[in-house]
Amino acid sequence: MRHFLFLFVLVFSTVASSAQLDSLRSMDEVVITATRQERRLGNVAVPVTLIQRQQIQQAGSLRLRDILQEQSGLFITSGFGVGVQMQGLNPEHTLILVDGQPLVGRTSGILDLNRIAVAGIKRIEIVKGPSSSLYGSEAMAGVINLITENPGTRSLEASLRYGVGNPDQGWALPFASTSFQQLDLNLQAGYQIGKWKLRQSNDLLFSDGISFRPFSTDRVPRPIRRLTHQTTLQRALGSKAEFRLLFRANQDRIQQEFSVRNNGQVIDSYGREQNHELNLQPTLTIRPTEHIRLHTRGYFTRYVGDQQLNFIQKPDSSYLDRFEQDLYRIEQQLDWTRGASDLIVGLGYQSDQARSTRYDALSSRKQNRVAYAFAQWEWRLNAQWISIAGMRYDDNQQFAAAFTPKWAIRFKPNDQWSFNASVGQGFKAPDFRQLYLNFTNNAAGGYSVYGTQDAIRIIRELNRIGQIAELKPEFDRLTELSPEFSTGMNLGAEYRPSRTVHIRINGFRNDIRSLIDVRQVATRIDGSQIFSYLNVKRAFTQGVETEFRWQLKTSWLLSGGYQWLRTGDKDEWARIKKGLEYTRSSDGTSRVMNKNEYVGLPNRSKHQAQFKLTYQPSETRFIFLRCLYRSRWTVANSNGNGVHDVQDESANGFVQINLSGGLPLRKNLQLQAGIENLLNHQDISYLPNFPGRNLYLTLNFKL
Amino acid sequence: MSAKFPLHLLSFLFVFAACEKDKPTPVVDQRAYSVSTSGNIITVRNLPGDTIVGTTAQGQPIGAGRYSFFSLETGQWIPNADSNSARWDLAFAGTILRVNNATSGPGGGGAFVYNGTFESLTSVPTDSTFRVDNHPISYAITRGSGKAWYTYDGPTNLLTPIPGRTLVIRTANGQRAKVEILNYYRGGTTPSASSADSIKTRDQRFFHFRYSKM
Repeated sequence: MRHFLFLFVLVFSTVASSAQLDSLRSMDEVVITATRQERRLGNVAVPVTLIQRQQIQQAGSLRLRDILQEQSGLFITSGFGVGVQMQGLNPEHTLILVDGQPLVGRTSGILDLNRIAVAGIKRIEIVKGPSSSLYGSEAMAGVINLITENPGTRSLEASLRYGVGNPDQGWALPFASTSFQQLDLNLQAGYQIGKWKLRQSNDLLFSDGISFRPFSTDRVPRPIRRLTHQTTLQRALGSKAEFRLLFRANQDRIQQEFSVRNNGQVIDSYGREQNHELNLQPTLTIRPTEHIRLHTRGYFTRYVGDQQLNFIQKPDSSYLDRFEQDLYRIEQQLDWTRGASDLIVGLGYQSDQARSTRYDALSSRKQNRVAYAFAQWEWRLNAQWISIAGMRYDDNQQFAAAFTPKWAIRFKPNDQWSFNASVGQGFKAPDFRQLYLNFTNNAAGGYSVYGTQDAIRIIRELNRIGQIAELKPEFDRLTELSPEFSTGMNLGAEYRPSRTVHIRINGFRNDIRSLIDVRQVATRIDGSQIFSYLNVKRAFTQGVETEFRWQLKTSWLLSGGYQWLRTGDKDEWARIKKGLEYTRSSDGTSRVMNKNEYVGLPNRSKHQAQFKLTYQPSETRFIFLRCLYRSRWTVANSNGNGVHDVQDESANGFVQINLSGGLPLRKNLQLQAGIENLLNHQDISYLPNFPGRNLYLTLNFKL
Repeated sequence: MSAKFPLHLLSFLFVFAACEKDKPTPVVDQRAYSVSTSGNIITVRNLPGDTIVGTTAQGQPIGAGRYSFFSLETGQWIPNADSNSARWDLAFAGTILRVNNATSGPGGGGAFVYNGTFESLTSVPTDSTFRVDNHPISYAITRGSGKAWYTYDGPTNLLTPIPGRTLVIRTANGQRAKVEILNYYRGGTTPSASSADSIKTRDQRFFHFRYSKM
């Protein structure tokens, strides 16, 4: 323990100023996600956040969650894995890509960010605002694109990290049985065999669980072993073509021990969860002339989630859950530059398949085929104006087609100022769960949930044999599900008074319609309820996000951000404005709810702020401090009125401070140390994946 | 925050001063059954309605199936011996509320649920229909989460009366009254979601309501 602290102090006390920070090239940095073409960040007309590998490393991030939680305007959510909330939209409305291709295997719409290792990732690009015009389904709130490292020069990097925490005591003893410990091993190598360039990254993470909930055997985080492998192969074919292959495999083994409460009863479960993931991405790029590029992309991904649970209270029963998803895709994209215009056209076809114990039978394979086409025209009118117009058409086999246009303009009157405006459509296709779920919970009252494809048939059949007591009006509205649609607007300005200062402000508004929600459609004769999915909700999110960067001298960098967010369910809001929603006075009597008592959608913080400070006198010597704040968020409706208001149960706002530092030991060896959650903030109920203060030490070797 | 602080301080001083003056006044037991009248509104607190006596084989808390009968006309808790009479208007047992009519009693009672605050209901709308019980299958005041006067949340095991739901009651003798259920827990405060299940079980089924004749 003492050793550990000593090392930590050492890191911070032996810094000497010499070299220059090289992280202030922001304007010239290249991003690809915003337009599907490489563009200088300074020329992009939509809000883009860029996270470079150096920041990922210096923050000590291992998983995608670790680095996203430190970004302005993003919230991490828990429940069915760890998700991300962007511009106030749910995790299911943010598309997550690796090299431009989507990751699959979502549970209840959430792609677990802890599943994704960030080793081997060169940079992360975050595009906010609807991007379905380029990427299709799920890109409603925006897109997070992980760009993998390119194979290139010979290199070898290895790192070993040991982390320890103890939520009860605050400070942890290394190697103690009461501590929560983490070990991460990472090996990355680049080499060349003949004309093939290769790069590999391997990551192994062990984490033991810890129980910090009183009266509970829950171990959160759970004991986990995660293994990630990534290989990139690249080869030039003549002078005008290039072939690239990305292979990624991920395996998680999670030990489960948790308690579920319902109707005052507790059921303790124990078992294991295993997830396997595979991505294969061959790409062929041809440049027949200087003005034309042709990309042919193939993509295959497979996700398998397997869960087996046993119950202490019911030793003779068990729960088995298996979910498999396969996505095959082929895509052709043509980039054509002509004068002041850049044109992109693309065509693609994909087959998305799933089978699961959650559907009618594991043997029955569900499939949705999508054929799509997209086009984008970027037009540089003159030195000041850029206009980007794009659109995409997705023809779905299983439900209505989606047409999503987008238009963005950028006006840059001088070197100091630039202004952006964009308006676009986003959509999210109904997922397999909403189409095919076939689930009956016999433990909690015997309710059933059926996906819409099966609901009508099943309920009609039950009705025919006299098992249905009541058909709700919602039953008649059960039809083919249509995609969820949103219209998003972003309006921003950037100001650069000097080379060292950069200020950005962006206002956004998203109007979401035909949101899919679970509704009761029928009642069985034994009184149990039957639910299904309908396109019924309408919502809005709006807010303002500001960011600044300021380079002080050569080795200091100060940055920060703030987001104000307001959200609401449109039907609830309309009822509140009409005085049709009620709440209680302090004496317990009912009264009409005031407009300013409405908090909107749950799990959203109104305020979020952050502040980051980097001191980096040389490449391997640094201190990186991050202060993150989010205000209270409502978690449950506790006063019975069905809408979320100021009286409802909420989680407390908090400040999280993360601190890390690096120190060169020898020529090829660097020591990195960090403290996550320095203030040891904990919230057993509402931040279950947030286990208090955590310390770590990393040894980085680089050849 | 800063604007609120002096107010808090003031109320604190006020309470302090009030306590000093009214020393002999007996402390009101917030957890005991009581009936109080203010103007034409009568408030009933901690009326037990089949409180929990044990658990089923599955571990579900259960009561003894014992109703509490209440007369809105006299403002009295009626002994169970008089259950088969027109002396009571509203009976309470867990989430079941019964009116004195049809299968529930010999009276001419009835009820329906009005969506709106207690104060906003000044007279019974002319087009309204009073429903009667069909015990034990259905009730004039429908049972079930979100249906009439309460919502129930399984994971937290908490029952909350819905604000803005007023019960319009026709008494056993045909008079009209409006009733608002205020709380379902002993002491008049719903336990917090994180409190122990033993507390939620022990304190549930204690009715707090206010009513007035119309």
